[in-house]
Amino acid sequence: MNSEPLYQFSIWTVIALLLAFYGGTYLLTLGISKKKNDADAFMVSNHRIGFGIGAASMTATWIWAASFYAAATSGYKYGISGPIHYGLWGALMILFIYPFGKRFRKLAPNAATLGELIHARHGSSSQLILAISNVMGSIISLMVNFTAAGALVSVLSPMSFQAGVIIAGVGVLMYTLWSGFRASVMTDFAQLVALMAIAVVIIPAVFFSMGGPTELVAGMDNLTSEQTNFFSSKAILEQGAPFFVAVLAYAIGNQTISQRLFAVNEDHIKPTFLTATVGYGAIVIGLGMIGLMALTLGIEPMNGDMNNLIPQMVSGYLPPVFIGLFFILVIGSLSSTADSDLSALSAIMMADVYGKNIAKDNPNPKTMLVVGRLTMVVATMAAIIFASFSLDILVMLVFVGALWGAIVFPVIASCFWSRVTNRAFTTSVVVAMIMFCLARFELLPLDGGFGLMFELLASIGGGIIITLMVFGFLGRAAGAVAGVLAFIAMLVFATGFLREYTVLLASLTAYGTSTLVCVVMSLMSKEVPFDFDLIRERVGDYNEHSDEAPSLATDTADEAPAAGAAGQPAAQS
Amino acid sequence: MTVLLGFYVLIWPALTLGVLILICRAVMRDRRQAKKEHREMV
Repeated sequence: MNSEPLYQFSIWTVIALLLAFYGGTYLLTLGISKKKNDADAFMVSNHRIGFGIGAASMTATWIWAASFYAAATSGYKYGISGPIHYGLWGALMILFIYPFGKRFRKLAPNAATLGELIHARHGSSSQLILAISNVMGSIISLMVNFTAAGALVSVLSPMSFQAGVIIAGVGVLMYTLWSGFRASVMTDFAQLVALMAIAVVIIPAVFFSMGGPTELVAGMDNLTSEQTNFFSSKAILEQGAPFFVAVLAYAIGNQTISQRLFAVNEDHIKPTFLTATVGYGAIVIGLGMIGLMALTLGIEPMNGDMNNLIPQMVSGYLPPVFIGLFFILVIGSLSSTADSDLSALSAIMMADVYGKNIAKDNPNPKTMLVVGRLTMVVATMAAIIFASFSLDILVMLVFVGALWGAIVFPVIASCFWSRVTNRAFTTSVVVAMIMFCLARFELLPLDGGFGLMFELLASIGGGIIITLMVFGFLGRAAGAVAGVLAFIAMLVFATGFLREYTVLLASLTAYGTSTLVCVVMSLMSKEVPFDFDLIRERVGDYNEHSDEAPSLATDTADEAPAAGAAGQPAAQS
Repeated sequence: MTVLLGFYVLIWPALTLGVLILICRAVMRDRRQAKKEHREMV
């Protein structure tokens, strides 16, 4: 089977599949009422998305094409524990953000972006740091998803890579452009149903076609001792630990998550995010098992490209109809993430850039909509161009990951601790980025005193990650105890050892440095502690909901402050 | 070992199916609720 070429669709079959997918998705969005397309609806719907649609949207958004390929690669490289070390930590990113999401929502019930909350808390510099990190993340995500579409189309048909990229870009833009976030969540549900139904069928189908559990056990001889060990330290250190470190960073740095935190009915945040956690984990780990199956069968990835593992397995063991289903599975996953990225980008440009920094809290809702739609068009074009040229984005990815790590503590602390200042926020992120670069690119020698200094900062970083995770669920005391224990454990085990794992060391250093600088500067500040009630006053609606149903108007009036002029908080109008 | 590994592979699609059913039922409920309140689901 190693030398067998992948099954090839004709050009017309691929066009028919893509037309059916994007045409069907577009038709779905026609059911969304056009007259309620105001700026707030375009960014966060009505803040009352139900549990079902919310959970579906969160799951579909978090699953992108790379999830399957990377989970299968992890299964192939690290054996039995590999899929878990990809899927579990990815799932926990959704789980660990919801306690903080509830706090964000309580502080700023009318917000559309986390940047708006930070703007109300600190001002422009902190907000723009967050907005820039969000924008870079979404552009990268868009580009990766369009690249995946091009790669899939070119691998399974005679069609070119660029044609696949363009069709995916135009297809996603077409159904998202008019209704924004509302179209995104509506189509996410349909896409997720297709995605889940296909995953439910494909995983057992491949498993039993290859020979089932008996063949899997027989193939265990092909695995190394590390690969057969469920608690493989190699898998933990190379795959699990860097992902674990990123759990909070990805969630804080990703506007697609905060957009859903602000859009879901406040009472449903917990069940929505819990369900999405299980849904994401089950699909991604399940598809990662196909990589494990390939490993036990001794299959070599075609052309040495790990991304070919799942297509090879599906193509080698299942009839063409399943390959068509797999095609839809990948297109569905990448499209649901891409439309969410477009909605996230438009919300950031509408609220964070235009609303807060250009219109200075007095934006015109109609102009906001134009800004949002233009952003979508420009972002799609940019992502298509970047993807078509197959640019190497590794350096960009490294920086964005570091930036997300550096902002975790300042963002969370700013929402709970009244003494955090704008200067502390901004300085801590800048210093953390510098320290990250010094460690990541080994601009300072990682032995002797410098090595020790970075390991100490990384130990603080490890401690603070555990502190925040425990604090989110169990409160301050438990968080502090867990954090101190983690810090001591890190000091004992990481000293003299962590410098061998530069990526992990640099990521933890970013966390540790930003925490240290932020805490010290905040404690030294003589500023008056911040009054958190001001955030609610400062983050208003962008539209007067005169056309809302009476019940909705009554519901929101109890909780939210009345908006003044469009987008201007009542307290400032 | 055979049963254990079979379970390890097949538990994930089973869980996926469970979540799929849960989400579909919840969306139906959301839809009924929205209709009752004369508003759109999204």
